[in-house]
Amino acid sequence: MCGIAGIYSYHYAANPIDLGELRLIRDRMAARGPDGAGEWCSTDRRVGFGHRRLAIIDLSELGAQPMFSADGKTVITCNGEIYNYRELRAELKSQGHVFRTQTDTEVLLQLYAARGPAMVDELRGMFAFALWDSEKRGLLLARDPYGIKPLYYADDGWTFRFGSQVKALLAGGKVSRVSEPAGWAGFLLLGSVPEPYTIYQEIRALPAGTTMWIDARGPAQPTRYFSVSEVYREAEGHGPVPQPELQARARAALLDSVRHHLVADVPVGAFLSAGTDSGSLLGLMRDIRQEQTHTVTLAYEDFHNRREDEAPGAQRAAERYGSMHTTRMVSESEFRADLPLIFDAMDQPTVDGINTWFVSKAARELGLKAAVSGLGGDELFAGYPSFGDIPRWVRWMAMPSCIPFLGDVARHLLSGWQRRAPRLHPKAAGLLKYAGTYAGAYLLRRGVFMPWELGKILDREFMAEGLRRLDPLRLIAASVEPGPRTPTGKVASLEACLYMRNQLLRDTDWASMAHSLEVRVPFVDRHLLEQIAPLVVSLPAGAGKRLLASSPSSALPGAVVDARKTGFETPIKDWLQRDDRTQAWRHLPELASPTCPWARRWAYQLAAV
Amino acid sequence: MGLPTGGSIAPVNVLALVSDAYGGRGGIARYNRDLLAALARCGRNRRTVVLPRHGKSESAGLPPRLTQLSPRGKVLYPFVALWAAATKGPFDVVFCGHLNLVPLAAIVARILGVPLWLQLHGVEAWGPLTRAQTWAAERALLVTAVSRYTRRRFAELARLDPYRVRVLPNTVDERFAPGAPPPELVDRHDLVGKEVLLTVARLASDERRKGHDKVIRALPAIIAAHPDLVYLIVGEGDDRARLEALANDLGVANHMRFAGQVAPEEMAGYYRLAKVFVMPSIQEGFGIVFLEAAASGLTLIGGDSDGSADALADGVIGISVDPQSPDQLAFAIMTALTGAGPDPVEVQRFKLENFTRHLRDLTGMHLKSTGMVAE
Repeated sequence: MCGIAGIYSYHYAANPIDLGELRLIRDRMAARGPDGAGEWCSTDRRVGFGHRRLAIIDLSELGAQPMFSADGKTVITCNGEIYNYRELRAELKSQGHVFRTQTDTEVLLQLYAARGPAMVDELRGMFAFALWDSEKRGLLLARDPYGIKPLYYADDGWTFRFGSQVKALLAGGKVSRVSEPAGWAGFLLLGSVPEPYTIYQEIRALPAGTTMWIDARGPAQPTRYFSVSEVYREAEGHGPVPQPELQARARAALLDSVRHHLVADVPVGAFLSAGTDSGSLLGLMRDIRQEQTHTVTLAYEDFHNRREDEAPGAQRAAERYGSMHTTRMVSESEFRADLPLIFDAMDQPTVDGINTWFVSKAARELGLKAAVSGLGGDELFAGYPSFGDIPRWVRWMAMPSCIPFLGDVARHLLSGWQRRAPRLHPKAAGLLKYAGTYAGAYLLRRGVFMPWELGKILDREFMAEGLRRLDPLRLIAASVEPGPRTPTGKVASLEACLYMRNQLLRDTDWASMAHSLEVRVPFVDRHLLEQIAPLVVSLPAGAGKRLLASSPSSALPGAVVDARKTGFETPIKDWLQRDDRTQAWRHLPELASPTCPWARRWAYQLAAV
Repeated sequence: MGLPTGGSIAPVNVLALVSDAYGGRGGIARYNRDLLAALARCGRNRRTVVLPRHGKSESAGLPPRLTQLSPRGKVLYPFVALWAAATKGPFDVVFCGHLNLVPLAAIVARILGVPLWLQLHGVEAWGPLTRAQTWAAERALLVTAVSRYTRRRFAELARLDPYRVRVLPNTVDERFAPGAPPPELVDRHDLVGKEVLLTVARLASDERRKGHDKVIRALPAIIAAHPDLVYLIVGEGDDRARLEALANDLGVANHMRFAGQVAPEEMAGYYRLAKVFVMPSIQEGFGIVFLEAAASGLTLIGGDSDGSADALADGVIGISVDPQSPDQLAFAIMTALTGAGPDPVEVQRFKLENFTRHLRDLTGMHLKSTGMVAE
C-alpha cells in the first residue's frame, strides 16, 4: 500500500518531464509511504515514475520501487497488494521465470512479460499500478476490479500525469485547477464524487476494473476487464442453491478470501464494531490463524452508556473470538484539533470518512501497519435497507411514473408545499418522478440533495452545466450494465459500484493512508463475489447477513445479527455542526431548519467554502 | 482487451467542410491546407473532397487525390454540402474545419452514417457555444485542437471524454530558415545598421488582441538602450492609423515601419530582417507565426496565457511574458536583443514529419475504434 506517481511526455511537441514536478507529486503523498521514496526516469526523459513505500510484503530494500524487470525492459510503480502472488509466482516459476525478490511487485512484472495487459484477469487483490513497456514505448495503467485503490490521471494534450491522489497531482503545479461542474454536481447529489469525474476538469479517475494504454498518440479509451453487475447477471443464471449447500459454500468462500487477505510480513489487525460484518470477519480470522488479532473499536464520550455506543458490543465480539482488544476514546476536543488535518487529507469532498480517520489513527498508535475492515459486507450480503426499499418503491411507482409530466407536476407542488411543511423530507417531492426506475430510486435512496435543489444552493448556471454533463440517471444506470434481473442483483450492483466504490472505499483510502495504515477489505474481492453472488441473489431479505454471521465456526451472537441496521452512528455530525469553522450552511434557511439532515449541511459546507 | 495494434487501416474517403483552405488567407486556411496535405501524404485518405465556405476557387497546387469544390457563399453552403455528400461520395468520415460549421457537419455525418472529426483553432472554440454547436461537437468521434489551451477551454464547454480530444499543433514550412536579410527588403524599409523587432499579425481594430500597442508603448525605454532599434510590423488592418498615432505621441514614429500586407512568397525574407519576434497576444489559438519566426532563427516573445505557450514550448523555444505587464515585456525584449536565438533542435519538434505522423496515428486510432473502417 503506497503512493504512486508518474509523468509521460507522450506528444512529440512536449518538453521532457520535469523531475522536480514528479517529486512534488510524489512527496505530497509522503504519508501513504513513510518507509521509502523512489524515482525513475527514462534516459530520454520522456517518462518518469515516483513511489512512496509502505512496506508490508518483503520489507527488504529489494522491495523498493519503481522496480525493473530483470531484462530492464519494463518498469513498474504499484500501489496495493496482490494476495495471490505466491500462487502466481509458483506458476510462473514452473514456466521458467526466475525471480530476484519475494515481492508481489516482481510477480506483476513477470506476469506482464508472460501475458501482456491481460494479466489483470489473474490478479486477486487491491491494486493500482503503472507499467512502462520500453519495447512498445507505452504505458499501461490498471486498477483493481472494485476500485479499492485509487488512480487518477490528467492529460493536458501533450503530457500525461498520474497519481494516487488528486491533491498530489495538483501539488506538481502543472495541472489545471479549473472546476469540473459534473464532479461537484455528483458530490452534492450522492455525497461523494462519482468516478470517472473529480472536482477538477483535467483530472479523471481511471474507472475501477479497467486498464488504459498510453503511447505516443496519447491515452486510449479505458478497457473494462471486470464488471460487478456482470457477475450478478451470470449468477442469476445458475438457479437457486440448495439450502444444505448454502452455508458450506459461503463459509468456504469467506475463509478463502480472509486467508488471502492475511498475507503479509507485518501483523494485520482488525477494525471492530458491534455489527455483523466486522464481528464475522474476526470470527473467520480466528478460524484461520491461531495468533491473537489486535482489534480496535472507537468509543465517543458523548455516547457513553447510550444505545449508539459500539464499545460494549465490540467488546463482546472480541471476547468471543479472543482478540487483543483496544477501545479508543475520541473526544470533541480531539476532533477539533484534528479537523484541519482532516481537511488536508481529504482528497476530494465527501460527507463521510471522519470515523475512519480516527479508527485508523488508533490502529497506527498501536503500531499496526495493516488492518482488515468489514467494509463491503452489506453490499455482498444484501444488508442495507435499500435492498428492501428500492425494489418496493420501483414496484409501487413503476406505473405512475410512466404518466407523462405527472412526476414533474407532483415535484413542483410538493416543493412549494415544503415551505409550509418543513418536516416533509425534501426527497418526498421526487418520489413520483424518480422512484419508478432502479436508477431513480437509487438516487432517492442515497441522494443528499435532489437535482432540482442544486441551482438553489449554489451557482445556478454552474450546477445546470454540472447536471447536464453528469446526467445522473444515466451514470447510475450505466453502473449496472449489463443489467442483473433480480432485485438483489440490481441493488447489490448499484451499492457496490456507486456508494461503496465512490464513498466507502475512497474515504477509507484517504483517511487510513493519512495515518500510513493499510486497510484490507476481505469482503470486497472479485473471487469472493463470484462465489457468493449465486448464493445471495435468490435469498429472502435479511438472510444474507445471517449467512455471513453463521460462517465462523463459532457463530456471532444472535442479538448482533438481528439488530436493526441503523448505520454506524457517531457524534461527529453534532461536532461538525457546532464547530465555528463549519458554519456556512447557517446562511441558507432550508439548511438551517432544525429537521435538515446533517449530510446536506456538511455537503453544502464543503461545496460553498 | 489488449494494446491498440499498430496495424494499417484502409485509406478513407473524406468530406472536408471548411471555412477556407486552398486559396484562402490567414492561419486557419493555412492549418487546413497543412492538415489536408498531410492526410494525403501519409496515405490515410483515398480521396478528399473539400468544400470551402469562402475564399477563392483553387485548382492549382492541390495535393494528390484532393478536390476542392468552388465556394458558393454562406447562404448556399448547407445545400452545397448536402449535395456534395449525396453526389460526391461515398465518404467514410466528415472532417469539419471550423466550429461554426459543426452543426451542419454533424447533420451531414449523421445522414451519411459516418464519424465526425472536428478541428478546433482558437477563440471560436473558447466559448460560449450555441446549443447547436454543443449538440454537434459532442457527437464528434475525434476532436483535434491546435493547442493545449484550446483543448482545455473547449473541455469546459462540451462534454467529451478526454481521450477523444487531441492536440495537433501547427507545423512549419521548410522554406522558413535562417539566412541573410534580403538586400531589397533592407533597402525598401531603410533598415541598414538597424536592430529589428518584428510582429506579423493583422491590425484589426475590433480585436486589438495581438499586442502591437503594448510593444509600441514599451519602445521608448528600449530605444534608450538600443538607439538603432526598429519595430517592423507586417500585416494590414483598420487599426493601423491608431497605432501610427500612438507611435507619434510617444515620439517613436521614426523607429517604426509598417510593411502592410506581404505576399506569402516574401514572408521568409521578412523574418530574416529581424532579430526578435514579439507578439504579446492575449487570444492566440497557437500562433503559427511564432513557428515561422523560430524556424528563421529569431528569438521569440509571446504571451503566457493562451495558446502561445505551446508555440513557445513553455519557455523552451521563446520567452513567455504576462501580456498585461509592460515591465515584463520591455525587459524580455531587451534580454532577447542581447541574447542568442532559439535552439534549432528544439524548434524541430514542430517539423512537418512529426505533424504528419501524429495525424496518421490519431486518425488510425480513432477510425479503427468505430469498426467502420476496414483494417
